[in-house]
Amino acid sequence: MIDRGEKKGQFLGAVSVSYGLIALIIVVLFASGLFTQMMESINLKGYPDIYAFVAILFLGTFAILFARGEPVAVMAIGTIASFFVLTVGQEPLVRYLTLAAVLFSIGMYGMVVSRNAVRVLMSIELMLNAVNLNLVAFARYIDPIHLRGQVFAVFILTVAAAEAAVGLAIVLAIYRNTATVDMERFKLLKW
Amino acid sequence: MEHLDLLRAWIPGRLDDFLFYLLAVMAIPMALGVLFDRTIIRSGFLLIGVFGSICGLFLVLQAQFLALAQLMIYAVGITLVVVIALMLTNPKLEKEAQPGTAHQQLGSFLVAGALFFTIYCALRSESWPLSSEAVSPDVQTIGMALTTTYALPFEFASVLLLAALVGAIMLAKAERAISDKEEPSKEAGEQNQPATLFERDTTVSSTRR
Repeated sequence: MIDRGEKKGQFLGAVSVSYGLIALIIVVLFASGLFTQMMESINLKGYPDIYAFVAILFLGTFAILFARGEPVAVMAIGTIASFFVLTVGQEPLVRYLTLAAVLFSIGMYGMVVSRNAVRVLMSIELMLNAVNLNLVAFARYIDPIHLRGQVFAVFILTVAAAEAAVGLAIVLAIYRNTATVDMERFKLLKW
Repeated sequence: MEHLDLLRAWIPGRLDDFLFYLLAVMAIPMALGVLFDRTIIRSGFLLIGVFGSICGLFLVLQAQFLALAQLMIYAVGITLVVVIALMLTNPKLEKEAQPGTAHQQLGSFLVAGALFFTIYCALRSESWPLSSEAVSPDVQTIGMALTTTYALPFEFASVLLLAALVGAIMLAKAERAISDKEEPSKEAGEQNQPATLFERDTTVSSTRR
């Protein structure tokens, strides 16, 4: 049974890697289209920040794979450096939206990777906060008179509070039945 | 506002940009720490730091009411609920659980990076209809909007909160209700559903170990 489980895990891992590669290929195609548009309209020297971002990605991969860097530290430094490089020449609204995108991606990564159910809920809270930041930035820079973004942010706060209460109650109920909070063992509906 | 003038004299360039980068550099590593800290209770407390720096960003964006609401609801309320849930469940189990396989982590990292880059390209390629007018006082504007234009969603939100409150109490109280019913059924010699669930899980985990 253990062998079967390991094989299944390897298979699922390979499937997720292939999904990631497919997503990466799509993004690269999309970005190459964008780059060709840029090359047609404006000269490439006006966009040094994306090249710096790619260079930071390669440096981070090198540091983790070959220089034996601590992966979490490399990831933190790389995230901050690429965030700074990508936003430093932009408008304030784009800066806020990029920060929200970074927090959203971090939350999504944590939601997929973590095995503790409570940590998954924390990641969901991070994602909701990123959305709130987006809405408030829109209210400040695009709609400063009616502030509709802030009204929607109030509703998101309400829904987030309800979601946290119900989600944690569900986690507690499952913990009472199965004595674990491991996401891999939540298979009460599977037999 | 005088202290802000003092800060402006200290810091060259725009104060908003400086504060934005300061708070962003606080928020991003704390958000990574929430995910990667091995002691899960500490990651629960790091969540307060993330919410606090986002509250500071709201203040920079001149949303004072939302900043205070963020501080009260997220940084105190939700984090408290999370920490209480961590204490009611057993955080020591986290150490026994191995992290996901390298394939899984690499795959989800690729997906998250692709997501970020897609969003960034979409943000960057569009020219935003920026408005340079002054921000109206936010408490008054939000209050007017909530009581006139958005009165119906506001009422629905209150109904949702009530339902969530009742549902959370019912879910968290479920064990007592079952155990009250359990005793007469045990006297009658019957096996009921939660007991079989528990036994099955313990057998599975014991065979695994």
